[in-house]
Amino acid sequence: MNIETFIDKFAFAIEVEPESLSAETEYKTLDVWDSLNTLAVIAMADADFNVALSGQDIESSRTIGNLWKIVEGKVANT
Amino acid sequence: MKAIPGIAVRAVAAAVPKSVARTQDYEFLTPEERHRFQKVTGIAERRIVDSKQCASDLCAFAADQAIEHAGWARESIGALILVTQSPDYPVPATAVILQDKLKLSQACIAFDVNLGCSAYPYGIAIVASMMKSLSIQRALLLIGDISSRSCAIHDKSAWPLFGDAGSATALELQDDAPEMLFDLMSDGAGKDAIIVPSGTLSSRRPRTDEAVQMELGSDGIMRYPDNLILRGADIFSFAIAKVPSSIQRTLEASKHKPDQVDFLVLHQANKMINDTITKKAGFRPDQALSTLAQYGNTSSASIPITLCAHADQFDKVRQLALCGFGVGLSWGTCILSMHAHTILPVIETDNVY
Repeated sequence: MNIETFIDKFAFAIEVEPESLSAETEYKTLDVWDSLNTLAVIAMADADFNVALSGQDIESSRTIGNLWKIVEGKVANT
Repeated sequence: MKAIPGIAVRAVAAAVPKSVARTQDYEFLTPEERHRFQKVTGIAERRIVDSKQCASDLCAFAADQAIEHAGWARESIGALILVTQSPDYPVPATAVILQDKLKLSQACIAFDVNLGCSAYPYGIAIVASMMKSLSIQRALLLIGDISSRSCAIHDKSAWPLFGDAGSATALELQDDAPEMLFDLMSDGAGKDAIIVPSGTLSSRRPRTDEAVQMELGSDGIMRYPDNLILRGADIFSFAIAKVPSSIQRTLEASKHKPDQVDFLVLHQANKMINDTITKKAGFRPDQALSTLAQYGNTSSASIPITLCAHADQFDKVRQLALCGFGVGLSWGTCILSMHAHTILPVIETDNVY
C-alpha cells in the first residue's frame, strides 16, 4: 500500500475524481467536504486498510498526506 | 459466554407516534444536503411525539398489545423492567408508575435501567436472568425513547437522525426453551461520544441560578446544556471496530455460522454503519433487517421496532442475532430462537396514559 492507493481510495470515498486530489490537498477545505465525508473516510480506512481512524484523527490532520501518515503508522502496528 | 436456558418470548410489540418528520422537509439542511444525508444514513422519515406524549406512553400502549397477544392475566406478571433514557421524571422510576397504569399486581418487581442503543440484548439478559433466579413465571421488558425531546431542532448532527418509539417484549419461563446466548460489553472511556452534559441538581453539572443559555460546541453547533450531543465520527469508529467481533463471539458460542441465522437485527444507527457491521460480521445484506428508512434511529427501541416492522417474516420459528451498540459506550449481542407468531406489527398511537 502506498499514498497513491490511499489517494485513489480517498477520492472514491468522498466521490471526487482522483486526479483532483494530491498528498498536499487540504481536504477539509474542499467544497464537497462535510461531516458525512468523515464517516466515509473512516469506512474506507477500515475496509481498504483494516485501520480504525477516529474522528479526532480526521479533525486534527490537515492534508491527505498527513492522514496517510496516521494510516501508515496504524498499518505498521497491526 | 453467558447463556440462559428456559426462557421463551411470547410477544413483541412496538408503538410509534403518528406525526411524521421527513428528511426532505428539514429546514436546516439545503436540498442537496438533504439528498446526501438520506443517501448516506438511509433515513427518509421518522416519527416524532407531540408535546404531551412520553416514552412511557408508547411503551404502555405496546405493553397492552403484548399482554393481549400473550393472553396473560395482568396479575400473573411478576416483573416489569423499563429500559429508557427518557423517563417521565428523574425521580421516581417510570417502571413503578407503569406498574400502576398497566394495572399490574403490587407483587410485580418494577425498576428502570438507563441504557440506550444497547438496551435490547442487555434488557433481555437482565429480565431473563431475574426470571430464572427468582422463579418469575412472566415478565415484561419495556424499551423506548423519545430522543426528539433531547436534541436541538437545528442540530443537524443529531436531530434528523432520531425517531421516537416504544416497545414491549413479553417473556415467560418455559423449561424446554432453547438457550439464549449473550455477549455484553462496556467502555466508559467513550462516555463523551453521546452525552447530555447537564441534567438534575444532583448531576455532575447541576443547573445554576443563572439563566440557562446555549453554548457553542466544538462542532460549531449551539446547544443548551441539557441537549444531547452526538459525536458521529467517534460512534462510527467504535461501532465498526468493536461490534462485529461481539457478533462473531456470540455466533461461535452458539455454534452457528452466519448463514444459519435467519436475520441479523442491528441497532438502527445509520446505513453506512449498519452496512459495514453486517459485512464485517460475515452476513449477507439481505439477512440484515432495517427500519432506517421509515423510523430512523429509534435509540433503545430500534431492535424491537425493526422486528415488528417485519412481522410478516415471523410466521415460523426464526433464529436471530440481535445486536445493540452506542451510548455508554455500551454494546452487546444476543442470539435467540423466536417462536412463530410472536412478533406484532408496529402500531401508531398518540395516546397518553
